[in-house]
Amino acid sequence: MKTKILVIEDDNSISELICMNLEAAGYEPVPFLDGLEAEAFITGTEADGERAGEISLALVDVMLPGKDGFALLEDLERAKIPVIFLTAKADVVSKVHGLKAGAEDYIVKPFEVLELLVRMEKVLKRTGRGRRQIQIRDVVIDLEKHSVMRKGERVALKPMEYELLVTLALEKNIAFSRQELLNRIWGTDYVGETRTVDVHIGQLRKKLGFHDVIRTISKTGYRLEDME
Amino acid sequence: MKLWQKLSLVTVSVLLIASLIFAGIVISHSASYDQGKTMENYEQQLKSTAYALSREIASSSLGEYRDTTRNSYLGFLLQRYDASQYILVGPDQVICNETSFELANPWDERWNGDKVFSVIQRRGEQYILLAGKKIPVTEGGDYRLILVRDISSLYRDIRDQAFFYLAVYFGMAVLAVLLVFFLAKRILRPLSELQRAARDIREGDFARRADVRTRDETGMLAADFNAMAERIEGQVRELSEESERRRQMLGSLAHELKTPMTSIIGYSDSLLHVNLREEQKERALLHIYEQCRRLERLSGKLMSLVGMYDNDSIHLEQTRMEELFLQVVSLEEFHLRKRGISLVHSCHMEDRKVDRDLFTSLLVNLIDNGAKASAEGGTVFLLGEENRITVKDQGCGIPGEEIRRVTEAFYMVDKARSRKEGGCGLGLSLCVRIAQLHGARLCIESKVGKGTAVSVIFPEE
Repeated sequence: MKTKILVIEDDNSISELICMNLEAAGYEPVPFLDGLEAEAFITGTEADGERAGEISLALVDVMLPGKDGFALLEDLERAKIPVIFLTAKADVVSKVHGLKAGAEDYIVKPFEVLELLVRMEKVLKRTGRGRRQIQIRDVVIDLEKHSVMRKGERVALKPMEYELLVTLALEKNIAFSRQELLNRIWGTDYVGETRTVDVHIGQLRKKLGFHDVIRTISKTGYRLEDME
Repeated sequence: MKLWQKLSLVTVSVLLIASLIFAGIVISHSASYDQGKTMENYEQQLKSTAYALSREIASSSLGEYRDTTRNSYLGFLLQRYDASQYILVGPDQVICNETSFELANPWDERWNGDKVFSVIQRRGEQYILLAGKKIPVTEGGDYRLILVRDISSLYRDIRDQAFFYLAVYFGMAVLAVLLVFFLAKRILRPLSELQRAARDIREGDFARRADVRTRDETGMLAADFNAMAERIEGQVRELSEESERRRQMLGSLAHELKTPMTSIIGYSDSLLHVNLREEQKERALLHIYEQCRRLERLSGKLMSLVGMYDNDSIHLEQTRMEELFLQVVSLEEFHLRKRGISLVHSCHMEDRKVDRDLFTSLLVNLIDNGAKASAEGGTVFLLGEENRITVKDQGCGIPGEEIRRVTEAFYMVDKARSRKEGGCGLGLSLCVRIAQLHGARLCIESKVGKGTAVSVIFPEE
């Protein structure tokens, strides 16, 4: 079952943008364009097949028609849904207010897709809603046991290879640059060449048969593609 | 040096010099008067003595005596007139001199006049008055009588008096200096108050006023100064309000730009980095296109708003308002009919000088607003009467607390709805500006649920 994410954003275009990316990354977005409708859904008066209890995370715009993001925060807390605020207000006061009010994170528009997804992943992990395993075709990654099984058989990966695979798999369908991968896996103080990444990618492709799954994106880097 | 000090110094020095000259003249005048009076007295005394002597001499037959006898007789006569004051000089010898003074030249012709000749001689500390005249005797040659008086006391008096005057003078001078300084400082006090006020204003306390209530020039200056401060305060307030409005407008603009920017950046980022399905890619492109169009509309409106701050951009021409109304109606009719809204117009206005394009845009904006507020099947009225054009709708109305703000740039009462209809919150700002350029003002009346009436009111002619 996919992780359900509540998207409360009044601008149709931005709402669709977020949903599109969440879908690509393997989430199931539940969009609302209005504060009051979102409230009705959260407090459970709306029954259209989905229930608030199944929601793992809410992305909430601060300025909303009907009921604004800060006002919705209480309802979301009661429903035990962690919240990430999305807002055009970049000032510190708004940020502090949002975080103090109980939001897990605060993302200022315009944001990058990767940043949004990574922050979401962090919040999900922190609140114990992170994924325990990821399946890509015949490969299953167990995030708790740190093991990788292919067709039921354990594949031996070096630590860095494992980290690289998890990073790409968590944000599947999203491209990472070599530098980003270096920073995230080897650390920002690692003084190495981006060739290192290429070598590890090559190993992963060979060990997992991912030659067509981990794609090289020209001028960017790598992307793990998996469309169900 | 401070002004009060300068003024005091000038006043004091002029005063002192003037009174010094005055005192000098008075003292010297009174001295010479005293001296003249004294001399006159003594001359009178000399004359009467000389006359008496001449009578005595005439009534006695002096000619019969010998010189010695005659001289001692004359000496005896003189005794009666206080001989200690006189020197009696005969034709060839000094007959009698009981004074302590010896004449250098008794036969000096000066003493031999019919009139009194007097001279003051100085001997050491003493001033000696010598006055002499001829004693008219017919026979036996001329005699001379010379009066000798020590008049030092007269000079002493004059000197004492002068010293007294000087003492009084200096006393008065000191008093005058103090008084002048005090008064000058007091009179000029409003100036220092003015200076303090000016300094406070310079340091940003624009509410400061000079507290001066005198009715002289300083008072008038202070009144003008306060009027000036009032004006400056007003203008500073206006300026800061204006810059606050500008700041808010810029803030709104930045915010207004952020939403389309977020979409454009997000979608292009997704297109570049995310593995999207074909139909998703198309949607992304469509969104980028739409958001760019939105930015273009926004920039167009902004440009016209900015452009209208150039006063050259307005071309007023005499216009038949009915014609203008018909033009507006033809522009709007199709557009409104599509939304199921009818437009009713009537015009009872005289010709007016307006900028056709701008005024058309103003009315179109107002009608669009009315149409947006109206439900399907609603009516928008465009009414012109005398000096007022009203655009009225029967739509949702504006909540009371929002009316004041609707003309602010980027202000939207219902943001989500307004965006959906392609609005960017600049329409009414533009209308206000256009009305201003025509010397008119915008008046907005509204009741929630009943509708809104926006009037363009021209000033009475």
